[in-house]
Amino acid sequence: MAPPRNNNRGNARSNADVLLPPESRPDVRDVTYVDYKDVDFLKRFLNEQGMVLPRRVTGVPAAIQRQLTRAIKRARHLALLPYAADTVR
Amino acid sequence: MPDIFSTYELTYLVNAVLSEDQARQLADRYSKYIEENGGQILQSEFWGSRRLAYPLSKKRNAFYFNVFFQAPGRLIGRLERALEIEDEVLRYLTLRLDPKMLRHFEKNRDAATKVRGDSELPVGRDD
Repeated sequence: MAPPRNNNRGNARSNADVLLPPESRPDVRDVTYVDYKDVDFLKRFLNEQGMVLPRRVTGVPAAIQRQLTRAIKRARHLALLPYAADTVR
Repeated sequence: MPDIFSTYELTYLVNAVLSEDQARQLADRYSKYIEENGGQILQSEFWGSRRLAYPLSKKRNAFYFNVFFQAPGRLIGRLERALEIEDEVLRYLTLRLDPKMLRHFEKNRDAATKVRGDSELPVGRDD
């Protein structure tokens, strides 16, 4: 008997990598332009470390996700958002 | 050849070691610079002293200024050069507004004139 094939090798998804439940998923239906000044909105797409959450977690359309990454990078440049949040407490 | 005018957004961070008055004076200088070189200020905001998300040249706070203006494209390079040389400006970001961003800006501006003193990011206005 061959062992079960791992079709997900090297790409193992942790439990954290599942789509957020609908109620905690940010609503982007009315978004036409993602503004880098809207820090509170952008923060919803970052994890505690300040990393951008992948689309498979946020569930936003690709066009919006691209705008988000740009906006987050602009906000980081202006020190509105951290590049890496302090993890040491 | 006539100059091509575009709408730009400029955000810059001024060293909070300066007093607020000094920072505002510095900002006025840049606004004047834009206007004296064929530009026109559309909206200018002072967000006050904000805590930085990470230290910039050992500083934890900075004054934030945000300006929307129309200007000939050739002005931008010179403006950025001036900001680069200025010791008290820690960071800056200039963006040319595409049609989508322009609509977003106009929508926000119209909303801002309707409701005043909401809990939005910009703290003070600097007209």
